[in-house]
Amino acid sequence: MRDQLEAAWAIFRRDLQIFLSYRGQAASHAFSAAFSIALFYYISRLLQIREFESPDAYFAFVVVGLVIMAVLQSTLVLAGAVRSELVAGTFERLLLSPFGAVRGALAMMIFPIFLALAIGVWTLLLATVFFGLGLRWETAPLALPVALLAALAFSSIALLATAAVIVFKQAPGVGALVALVTLVSGFYFPTALLPGWIGWTSEVQPFTPAVELLRNVLAGLPLSEPAWLAVAKLLGFALIVGPFAAWVFARGIELGRRRGTIIEY
Amino acid sequence: MGAVRSAAPRSGASPAPAAGRGPLLEARGIAKAWGGRHVLAGVDLTVGPGTLVAVTGANGTGKTTLLRICAGLIAADAGRVGVGGLDPSRDRAAYQRRVGFLAAGDRGLYARLTTRRHLDLWARVSLLGRRRPAAIERTVAALDLAPLLDRRLDRLSMGQRQRVRLAMAFLHEPDLVLLDEPLNSLDEHGRELLVGALAALGRRGGAAVCCSPAVVAGIPFDRALVLDGGRLRESSR
Repeated sequence: MRDQLEAAWAIFRRDLQIFLSYRGQAASHAFSAAFSIALFYYISRLLQIREFESPDAYFAFVVVGLVIMAVLQSTLVLAGAVRSELVAGTFERLLLSPFGAVRGALAMMIFPIFLALAIGVWTLLLATVFFGLGLRWETAPLALPVALLAALAFSSIALLATAAVIVFKQAPGVGALVALVTLVSGFYFPTALLPGWIGWTSEVQPFTPAVELLRNVLAGLPLSEPAWLAVAKLLGFALIVGPFAAWVFARGIELGRRRGTIIEY
Repeated sequence: MGAVRSAAPRSGASPAPAAGRGPLLEARGIAKAWGGRHVLAGVDLTVGPGTLVAVTGANGTGKTTLLRICAGLIAADAGRVGVGGLDPSRDRAAYQRRVGFLAAGDRGLYARLTTRRHLDLWARVSLLGRRRPAAIERTVAALDLAPLLDRRLDRLSMGQRQRVRLAMAFLHEPDLVLLDEPLNSLDEHGRELLVGALAALGRRGGAAVCCSPAVVAGIPFDRALVLDGGRLRESSR
């Protein structure tokens, strides 16, 4: 077990070092987060709708949406990262190691999630200091386990997308999936505004409970369902879909080995 | 082929620690087709402990495909391959502990990482545990990597990069090393280091299979085989 953790740590450190070797990258992320907050702050000043009692209420709502969006995207970068590694010939080294491709792919998610959490903290810090976001400090520390649980649930979808990359060399639906999730999960506006024919989709995926829980613990915004139920949904998704996704990914690797497509890059 | 010695294992070679008395690599009836073209049509290959085998053949005859199947990277359409009785799919992790693989070309490196980071990364991913520092030290010495340790891979010459790639094939002390065109970009010094690494492998009872399109001078192979028409035969040279 210790050896496995050391291998995962080595992959995390590899990704961190490569990220830091591009000097402008961290600054780019920091500025991007700052500009997004500023954009939504000024949009919030334009809003006067009954769903929010004040522009500040919408600003708090959308800032947490930005944080969870970063977490979602951090998991979905796995498909692109594995594709890059396949092209570079480094993924086959993972495949030919005792650590293996499945555990290697899971370890490749650690750094992006860590980076998303760091960007989340930075986003909240900027929003609080410069734009007057009212954080609920007594429950804010709970945001970390909630975000990690959300990342775990989202990782299942990322693994399925990565299995598609292994088998079909592409995962063309990922961009559309992110757009759809943004639409139906209440990242930028309440799901209550959705028309009935699509509104049900906000109930059957892990993104809505994740963003609602985060909003509750960070900004004290009300939940549409009991907190335990939202946690159970996330946990259930992670525990049921997660192992299934890992199985699909492993089968994808085996299929790639049989067809020989694993080395066709 | 350079000097081809007798097919028997080298004298004085100690048995591989976990190799047992049987062959180290055993491939039987390996067949593989790419897009309907049958590249390998029932290849048999047995490699005993302490043996160094050369496989040559024209471009497109399936040398790389054969090595990839033996490494467990891809699966054969028919036939079976085993290392020390292990199956590459069923016993994946144990199989990979015993096999080192060098792919042809110059891929498999991270341009922005140093040689030291590469060795540390792949030693950890090889699950070497407490053996890691000694394994890295030994590999650095074997392939003369000390002057390159703190240099990024994108700042090394092609020959120096090839030495780092070779290091990753030998790093975890595999019993069987599969090398696809190992002399790519290597200068005389690099070639000597490779010969030394292969000799050390043979001394501890390991074996190696090297593929290249034509004659490789200076490497003391025990057997020379030619892949032609989808089958292996002994080289007449």
